[in-house]
Amino acid sequence: MITCRNLTKRYGDHIAVDALNLDVPAGSICCFLGPNGAGKSTTVKMLTGLLKPTAGQAIVAGHDIAADSLAVKRAIGVLPETLGLFGTLTVEEHLHLSGPIYGLTRAETHQRTDQLLRALALDDGRQTFIDHCSYGMRKKTALAMALLHNPKALFLDEPFEGIDPVTSKTLRELMLTLTSRGVTVFLTSHILSIVERLASQIVMIRDGRVVWNSRPDELPKSLEDVYFDLVETPIVEELPWLGSSPS
Amino acid sequence: MQPQSGEFFWVVAGLLLLFPLSTDPLAKIPPDRLQLWPLTPRGRLILRAVSIWFSPIPWVTVALLIWTAKPVLAFAFLGAGIVFYGLGSVFSSLPERMPRWNLARYIPEIGGPLGGLIRKNLRELLTVLDPYAALVLTISGVLYRILSSHVEPDALMMLSSLIVLAMSTYALCLFGLDTDSGFTRYHLLPLHGWQILLAKDAAYLLVVTILVLPLAPLSGFAAALMALAVGHKSSVEHLIPQTRWRFTGGANITTGLLQIFLMFSAGTLVGRTSKLILLPCLAICAGSLWWYGRRLQQLE
Repeated sequence: MITCRNLTKRYGDHIAVDALNLDVPAGSICCFLGPNGAGKSTTVKMLTGLLKPTAGQAIVAGHDIAADSLAVKRAIGVLPETLGLFGTLTVEEHLHLSGPIYGLTRAETHQRTDQLLRALALDDGRQTFIDHCSYGMRKKTALAMALLHNPKALFLDEPFEGIDPVTSKTLRELMLTLTSRGVTVFLTSHILSIVERLASQIVMIRDGRVVWNSRPDELPKSLEDVYFDLVETPIVEELPWLGSSPS
Repeated sequence: MQPQSGEFFWVVAGLLLLFPLSTDPLAKIPPDRLQLWPLTPRGRLILRAVSIWFSPIPWVTVALLIWTAKPVLAFAFLGAGIVFYGLGSVFSSLPERMPRWNLARYIPEIGGPLGGLIRKNLRELLTVLDPYAALVLTISGVLYRILSSHVEPDALMMLSSLIVLAMSTYALCLFGLDTDSGFTRYHLLPLHGWQILLAKDAAYLLVVTILVLPLAPLSGFAAALMALAVGHKSSVEHLIPQTRWRFTGGANITTGLLQIFLMFSAGTLVGRTSKLILLPCLAICAGSLWWYGRRLQQLE
């Protein structure tokens, strides 16, 4: 479903993603891990058509991201880092805007909107303008937009950040249902405990290079230990002034 | 002797300028952050007193006092600034406090794949002051048309071009109210760049057409097409952020002058020679739409 061959993104001398090779089969949940600035979001942006690769190739849902980016965009759903929302629209209007662009009829759009808003507990706030929504509501709206057109692949950038435990559980169950129906989920996350429970493939990236790529049951140690060994070691900095009496 | 015919225009322009001039400089600091600062009541009072002097209103008041030696005029200006600040605060906070008063809610759903984007763009356009300045000109033109015994067609043509002039800066920064978040969405939607620009143009042309309809609609429409044809370049290549409930601004002066020249030329040619001049105007606008649509698609 997702194939990358030597996918590279350079900004001048800086290599954000360095010759990434990856195969994510249909119906799997691929969790992409790494510290801030490792190249996770850049990879997601390249795979979703937000950034053009400097070199290499990627095929998503059967389409080349460089040659046929519109076909890729039609086939995927994305929860971007910035959420991609408009302050002058209400929660439900975002979905009403999105549906017809993906070829849904007005009736289909409205029906799916109602169902998604109920599923994500957004029904009460459906007429709230995005500017007046909490971060969690915004995130759920962006997620509903990603799901509305029944995508073949879902790209979720930090989906579990800033949402309540109930929505987190709903989202996890939704992902498992989707993958059982053949949808591929590609997500980035810093919450290792959730990744450990959800992932069918774990990829770790550091300085733009893949340092680990396996199924969870192939990990030699706990995910946290492997992550700290390969990706980043926790920094222990003594801050003696913290907690001391003010002078 | 001062010509009196321009007084009305200057009064209107002055009143409209008072809105951006009378904003609270302290409002630039996020209120939550301001509340968290460990300031004493006296410290907050000093901050408030100092911040007032970052607003142009007290400086203009002082200047008026010195140069005109008319305290009534100076304090009337200060009073107007305070009233306009109050009006601006109430006006911009009303939609949040009383959602039913958010008039944007009443813009109806528009059909077609781009309908949702056009509605969004209409809402954005109606949250800057430019169309309201243009509306004042439209109302003046309508009053002139009703009350004047002899209506000069050239005057209507010029008024229409002036209305488009009031809206012209918006055409130079069509994406000014789309934040990074909104811009990301444009790139995620399976749309060509020209379709995204077309949704912008449609909202702009709809508002302009309504405003020039009672005056010289064809001249106004031709001027609007030229405003957009020039505006696409600036909108796509220089993303200039704009603020709601302010006039749009920040566009390149050379581009602005070229835009004004082409707008007035197109409006005058359509009004004085032939309506067929609209066709090349449409062609130029369509060409610009296609070209800068491609540029928009190439942006990262």
